Amino acid sequence: MLAADEELANKVAELASRRGLTVRQTVNDILEQALRVEETGISLKEVVEERWMLEKAQEIGFTFVPEHLLYQVVDAAYGQGGKQFSDTWRGVGRWYGKYFSAKTDKPLDAFNEAMGLLTFGASGFSLEKQKDDRLAVTCVSERFTEGFTEVFSLFIEGVLEVLGYEVSDREVSKGIIKLKLSKRR
Amino acid sequence: MRSQTPEDTKLLILPTHLVDRLRAIATRQGVSLSSFAAESLEQALRVDEMDASLSDAVDAYRLSEIQRGAGMVDVPRSSLNHLIEKLYSKKGEDLKRVWGEAGRWYGEYLRAKLKPEETLGLLEKELLVAWNLDEAEIRGGETEVAVRWVSFTMTAEFTELLLSYLSAVMDALGYREVGRDSLRGMATLKYTRIGVS
Repeated sequence: MLAADEELANKVAELASRRGLTVRQTVNDILEQALRVEETGISLKEVVEERWMLEKAQEIGFTFVPEHLLYQVVDAAYGQGGKQFSDTWRGVGRWYGKYFSAKTDKPLDAFNEAMGLLTFGASGFSLEKQKDDRLAVTCVSERFTEGFTEVFSLFIEGVLEVLGYEVSDREVSKGIIKLKLSKRR
Repeated sequence: MRSQTPEDTKLLILPTHLVDRLRAIATRQGVSLSSFAAESLEQALRVDEMDASLSDAVDAYRLSEIQRGAGMVDVPRSSLNHLIEKLYSKKGEDLKRVWGEAGRWYGEYLRAKLKPEETLGLLEKELLVAWNLDEAEIRGGETEVAVRWVSFTMTAEFTELLLSYLSAVMDALGYREVGRDSLRGMATLKYTRIGVS
């Protein structure tokens, strides 16, 4: 016999009822599948986390592309584009800023979470909330090209602009984005 | 786990063989059997909230691992659409070539990474999940394969590039394109195994 937290046991019982199974069958099925996952050396928690991230990425309209392909395309467009191109990336950032604002009470946290998806495996992103409603944003990747770094920084600025922040200090060079922002009064 | 009193707990009956396996893995991970089981149940409930199953989550995990290994990144579709629209009129053929090269590389990567019988299933999942299409289906067997996909939001230019990419992936996997019917955001493709007449 296994002692389980009452709340957890009740949720499992609800799940069993939805599936038209007994609690015992449901618990056995879940644990059997969990064992199969863990016995292959993968953590079930990581598996579920990854599934959740993929779902989030789909939900907010992201798509996967080969990283080098993205950089090639961005650099080619950046070379031709000038201001109109920059405005578009800032505009997409603003769109996401509005999306996060409409979707949740904590749009900054939602943005931070989404950046975990956007910078998938490729870079270090940090968004630090500081005193007096200030923010420090850093994004570093040795793989970012110059053009991509620039447009990606504009995307970030666009999101944060809609969330009520303005840039007070900006350092952007190939592979490095460092932004300091303060709340607009 | 939070501290519990006996009143907060319920007892679940488990078969002995399951308990033995649970105990073995819990011991290996340095946690109690109850903690391991509770964590597993909690994760299963999370998956259920996503309207998915654990096996679906395992598939998604494998897909992510492959994507990460192949150097894929996640970007807003709208930004990518804009880039492509901007470049396509002047550099459409170049873009198709570059996307084709990327597809060929990815197909070779899948070949090296997966068993032959696993590749088409994973590719179907990738179209649906990673490329964020609304529908994707890959059907067929040893000699002939049919691919069908639909996206309600894809631009005509993106459709062309995805077609170049996908046909190059299939080519690397050993399938030659023998039929194509496409419109903006929609395609039906037919392939035969290279070397089979």
